[in-house]
Parts: sequence; C-alpha cells; structure tokens
Amino acid sequence: MNAGAALLDLALRDGAGAIAVVGTGKNAGKTVTTRALLEALRGTCVGLTSIGRDGEAVDIGDAMDKPRLRLEPGTIVATARAVLPVSPASEILETSDLMTAAGPLLYARVKMAAPYELLGPPTASGVRASLAQMRALGAAVTLLDGAVDRVAALAGGDDAIVVATGAATAATVEEAVDDVRALVARLSLPKVDEREPALRLDGALTATMVAALAARGETRQIVVADPTQVVLSGKAFDGAMRRLTLRCERPLRVVAATVASIGRDRYFEPAAFARAVAAATGLPTFDVYAGARAA
Amino acid sequence: MNLDLLLDETTAGALDAAWLLRAIAPCGEYGRRATAAGAPDARAIVADAAALDAGTLDALQDALGRAPDVAPALARAGVGDALDDAAFLELLRFCDAWLRARATLARHDRDLGSDAAAAACISLVSLLAHGRAGTYGFYLDERFDPALGAARGRAQRAQAEFDAARGRSTRSIAEALGRDEIGEHEFILMRADAPSPLPEGLRVIREAPTYLLCECDLDERALAALARRDEADAALAQAERAVREALSARVRERVPGLDDAAAAFGALDAHVAKVRFAQTYACVAAEPADAGISFEDARYLPLLDELAREGRAYAPISLDLPGVAILTGPNMGGKSIALRTCGFLALCVALGLPVPAKRARMERFERISWLGIAPESESGGLLSSFAREVVRLREILERPHERTIVLVDEFARTTTPQEGRALLIALVARLRERDATALIATHLAGIAHASGATHYAIRGLRGVPARPAGGDLAEALAALAGAMDYTLAEVTADSPPQADALALARLLGLDDALVAAAYEALG
Repeated sequence: MNAGAALLDLALRDGAGAIAVVGTGKNAGKTVTTRALLEALRGTCVGLTSIGRDGEAVDIGDAMDKPRLRLEPGTIVATARAVLPVSPASEILETSDLMTAAGPLLYARVKMAAPYELLGPPTASGVRASLAQMRALGAAVTLLDGAVDRVAALAGGDDAIVVATGAATAATVEEAVDDVRALVARLSLPKVDEREPALRLDGALTATMVAALAARGETRQIVVADPTQVVLSGKAFDGAMRRLTLRCERPLRVVAATVASIGRDRYFEPAAFARAVAAATGLPTFDVYAGARAA
Repeated sequence: MNLDLLLDETTAGALDAAWLLRAIAPCGEYGRRATAAGAPDARAIVADAAALDAGTLDALQDALGRAPDVAPALARAGVGDALDDAAFLELLRFCDAWLRARATLARHDRDLGSDAAAAACISLVSLLAHGRAGTYGFYLDERFDPALGAARGRAQRAQAEFDAARGRSTRSIAEALGRDEIGEHEFILMRADAPSPLPEGLRVIREAPTYLLCECDLDERALAALARRDEADAALAQAERAVREALSARVRERVPGLDDAAAAFGALDAHVAKVRFAQTYACVAAEPADAGISFEDARYLPLLDELAREGRAYAPISLDLPGVAILTGPNMGGKSIALRTCGFLALCVALGLPVPAKRARMERFERISWLGIAPESESGGLLSSFAREVVRLREILERPHERTIVLVDEFARTTTPQEGRALLIALVARLRERDATALIATHLAGIAHASGATHYAIRGLRGVPARPAGGDLAEALAALAGAMDYTLAEVTADSPPQADALALARLLGLDDALVAAAYEALG
C-alpha cells in the first residue's frame, strides 16, 4: 500500500467524511500530501477546498514554484469564482454568498482534467459550510488543505487531520520534530471530563491567561471550545500542560503525520526524520515524497 | 415612508420598531431593494393573507429565497460583457424560481410581473436549457455549439498524446536514475547521489544546497505533442469563449424583460413578507380616519412574542382616542404597553401595513413621538431625568405642526407633584392647540378633570391575590398577572378611586405593618 492509500485508510477507518491536511509551516508538503490522497481516492467523488490559497503555480509569498493541483474529472471544488479556470469549462454546481479573499465562493465539478487553484473560505464557519455543501453535492470524501487555526471546522466530529511537516519549516531536525510534536499535542487536546470540575473559557487561552490561572493554583479543568482556541507556542503549551489541566469541548482527531525531508535550503535524512516525528507524535508517519509509510 | 422622518431613535426604541422591521423583512436582495422603493397596500396584504394559505406562502418564499441576485449579471450583459458560466447558472436559477413563483400565484388567480418579464424568463430558460447539468448545475454543453464538442475532443486527444509522449521519456529517465518521479515528471536528486552528467532529457529547475529538483525535458515527439496540445487548448478556449459571447449577446436582448422580472420579484418578496406578518398575527387593515385612533383588541406584538415564548397569555386592549386623553392605572398594570400599542399601530399604518387588532380606525400619522420613560440605554449625560424630558419635550414641540401622535409616559414624574401636574395640564392644552393625538400616562391625579381631557384607566387588580408563602418573587408576579385586568375603561365622576399600589407592595413582600401604616395614612 502506498503512502496516499495508507493515509486514506487511516483517515477513513473511523468514518471520517472530511480529511484536513495542515502544516507546521509554509512548504511543509501539504499540497504533495493532498495530491497523494487524491491519487488514492481516484474513482471516488472527492470534494476539495482550501483555507486560504492553494494550488497556485507560484507561491504568492516568496515567488517560488509550488506543486500544482491537477484535478481529475468528477472532482468537486469549492473555490473563489474569480480563480476558477475559464477554460476548460467546469460544471458550475452552486454559487454562494460565502466570501473568500478573492470574492464569492462557488462549487464546481471538474469536467476535463486541468490545474485548479483553490481559494476557499477564510473562516472556520465558512469552511464547515463549504464541506457540508460539497457533501450535499455528492462528494463522498472531502479534503481540506489549510491552516491550523481554521480546522476548528472539523472539531467534535469523526473527521481526520493529517499533519504535514518538512525540512522547509525549521532549521534543524530537532526543531522540526519539536514543532510537530507541540502542534500534534495541541490539536490532540483531550475532551473535557464532565464528571470533574471545570472552568470554561469563552474565547482563546493565551499565555497571559495561563500565567494567571497557574499563579492562583487553578486545579479545575480549563476548558476551551476546541483545540484551535489554545493560542500558545510549543514551549508555552508544554508549560501550560504541566501546570494546568487543559481540555476542550470538541476534540479533533489527528490520524497521521507526513514528512517532506527535502526543503528549499536544507535536507533532512528521510528515514531518521520520519522515525523522529513518529516517535515524538505517536502517529503513523509517511514520507509522501518517497511514497511510503516511513515509521 | 421614510422611517427617520416618522420617528426618532428614542421613539423607535420605545416601540421596538426594529422588531417590526424584522417581522416584515423579505427573504432576499430583490425584496430589500423593493422595500426601499415601494409603498405597500394594507388591504391587498390582508386580502392575500386570507386567500393564500401558509403552504402557498412557503412555496413563494422558497422560490424567492432560492433566487440568486442577477443584478450584476444583467448589468454586465447590458453593457456587452461576456458572462461567465456562474452567471449563466444564476440567470437560469433566477428564471426557474421566477416561473415557479408565477405558477404558484397563477393557481390563486394572481399575476407576477408583466408579459414581457414572463416572456424574457421563459425564453432565457429555453436559451440556456442545454446547459442544465444534474439537478441544479450549469455546464457549457456541446449542444450549444457542435464546434465545442469537436474542440473538447481534440483537446482531450492532444493531452493524451502529450501525456503518452512525456510518459515515455519520464519512464526512460526514471530507469536511468533508478528512482521514481515525485510527480508531474519531476525528480529530486540529492547532490551527493546525482549522476554527472545528468541523463539526457533531465533539466535542473531548482538548485538547493542539498538537492536538485529536476524536470524531464521534452523530447522532439513530446515537444510536438505539447505544441499540438497547446494549440488544441487554445482552440478549445476560443470555442468556449465564442459560445459564452453568443449566449451573452442573447441574454443582452432579454435584459429589459429580465429587469422587469427582477423588479416584480422584489415587489412580490416584500409583499409576501407582509402577508406572512398579517397572517401570523391576524392583522386587519385599519379604516382611515380624519383624526385620532380607535381600536379593538389590539396587541403590542413585541411583548406578545416575548410572552408566547414564555408560554404566557397576552391581554389585548381596546381604546377610542379622538384627541388628547389621560391614562391612569396601577403600577404594572400596562400603561406603558397601552402607549406602545397605540404607537405600534400608528407605526404599522404609517408603513402601509395592516394592524394587529380585531378592528382599527385611525389617521395616518406623519410623526410618532415618545416622551417619558425611555429605554434604559438612553443616557442624558449631565442632565437629570427631568431636564432630559424637558429638553425632549422642547424638541417635540419645536417640530412643525404635522399629523402627530404623542405618547407620554409619566412625564414630570421626578419633579414635585404640584408642578408636574401643572406641566401636564399645560401640555394637554398645547397638544390640543396643535390638533395632535396624544395619550398621556400618569400617576398624578386630577389632570383630566382640570384639562377637560378624556380620562382612561387600566382596570387594575380584580382582587388582591394572596402573598406567596415563601415570598417568591416570580410566584408573586405570576399571581399579579393572573389578578390584573389590563383592559382600559373610561373614567367618569362615578368611577371608584384606585389604590392598587399598596396591595401590590404587599403582594411583592413589603412587611404588613408598613403596608398597614400606608393604608392608614391614605385614610
């Protein structure tokens, strides 16, 4: 079984309808991971969107080449009306009032294989609505390529999250591994124990709040709506977990990690990198460039 | 009717005008545009509320709610722009929804829009019919132009030939390198492992300190296939553009009719929302009157709604207010709600809406003014409550003599009773001079008698309810509501005096000795 098929198997095992691919930073290999999943889903009606912009030929941020998303006929996309390819024509399924950074979102079905740019809704509620709409339009599985802080859209359900990390995101293997460990730990925040006392927060948990809660010796569970409401860096999160009992109302389900051992400016030894990520996160880890489960 | 000219912010807040605007809000952009422009007809609204059942209104609002806003597409088509496929879908759906609504209305012998509007919608549906895909979609189908099908076929074949040609060279390079492509005919080679020279046909497209990202060069066959593919893609793009331009030109011919259809849809949206309002709240069209207001079993809907949510009953009130009248009554007896009911009905009539009452007869006011106890959020800055009221009264009286209803809620309650009474007597005289309609609620005695104004009173407690055993406030309030008669009655010389405040104080838990002392002091 190749990496995409194995990832898909893990994600769909517990009935996930949506799979989100999030990265520890830019060029972490999200699009390559998404491509691997799309390849594994060939023959299935897939719905695809992104949080922000994906699939463009050149990185808007640094003008470097980026992997393209060439989509097969039958794929459903939720993207900005302004970036839908004019030719070859797509089947327009639905227009919508949901806004993206480039104007209103629409839903379309790919009729002839072509490169597509995905520019999805920027908010968690918009993402949730677009995923639901793609399912209503017939997508058996929906894929979301996007930002960590918007995966709240998947919280509380069976949907799966794949975390991508790569050599482009950190200066050393240790740093990259530490980043992905902290991200996975944060996204895997356990569900609140309803039998135990709890202090529920309306908004985000910040470092200042952690310090204040710890200083007063808070022993109750500190409960946020979902893991994306914890706004702490890796070390601050580790510290908060040691000092407080952090929990969430609607947990996320992180099922796997992927590694891209080759970055633009550096290279990590692939097998060792993947093993280190697997050990730090406790997740099945895949090298999507190598196309196989690595650890 | 311009709402800002009709009532100011304080009055709008006191009457909860926002509730009414929400209750009559149309479902879509068409209706919102029509609301700004049109003047509704209360009789037509009531007639349709009686004639159209809830299922019909549901069907109409479903069609109105599903119709996308085609104003941008019509504007673009009107100036000769080529429309995109999403715009064709929106136009198709708009026409579907419009024709569905028209058919629904036709079953009730009602029209929608002009014949030109209907003709434009029908012909546009026919024009775009080939593009219908699945249940709702639109696709630039080959049936629009056989050349499109041929261009697509050529593009697909050219792509397949290019993929095959490229695949052959990629496979041969993969064999030479002993590793797989990473996709898109690209290979990653670690600098340490990279063969030198690179296999023929492999080109470095990115150099990193540690690796080379390489892409397969195109051999002659692949280059020729690529040229054919690009040519076929360009031809396809041109064929698609031509179909879009031809369709857009034919849409342009229908723009006047479609504009009419959109306007009619807007009017329908605004009308249906009001019909729904009238049906939901059993409203009637008020009979016109030269002066004053008169109604039977009227309801102040924001409160009715709130009570309904709590499962509590609402007591409608009736009133005949030919000019200026005084309203007295116990605390918590509903004086303020009586004022709000008058204001709410006046607002409905001014907006061309039917009113929530069994019967109503009233003039159409140009101005509704509230004076007195205002929403808590209103701040007077450095002014005292009394000073704030005086400033507000000055503003009301400074306005030109227009058809006005003034609703006064315990004006001057915070100054001395003698002076407050004097002010109210003078105010009654001034409002009469201006031919205003006014209802003035007060606890101060003798104003109606001194000013010669009609005097109404809330009937008040039908008996003093027993104080709840545990002194529970909610229970006391429920008992109070059960015992209170909120209806109004005209006060005559023979009417018995009211002293409900002390009974109320006892019910709400004030100690018996204090209440008894108060009764003794009252004599």
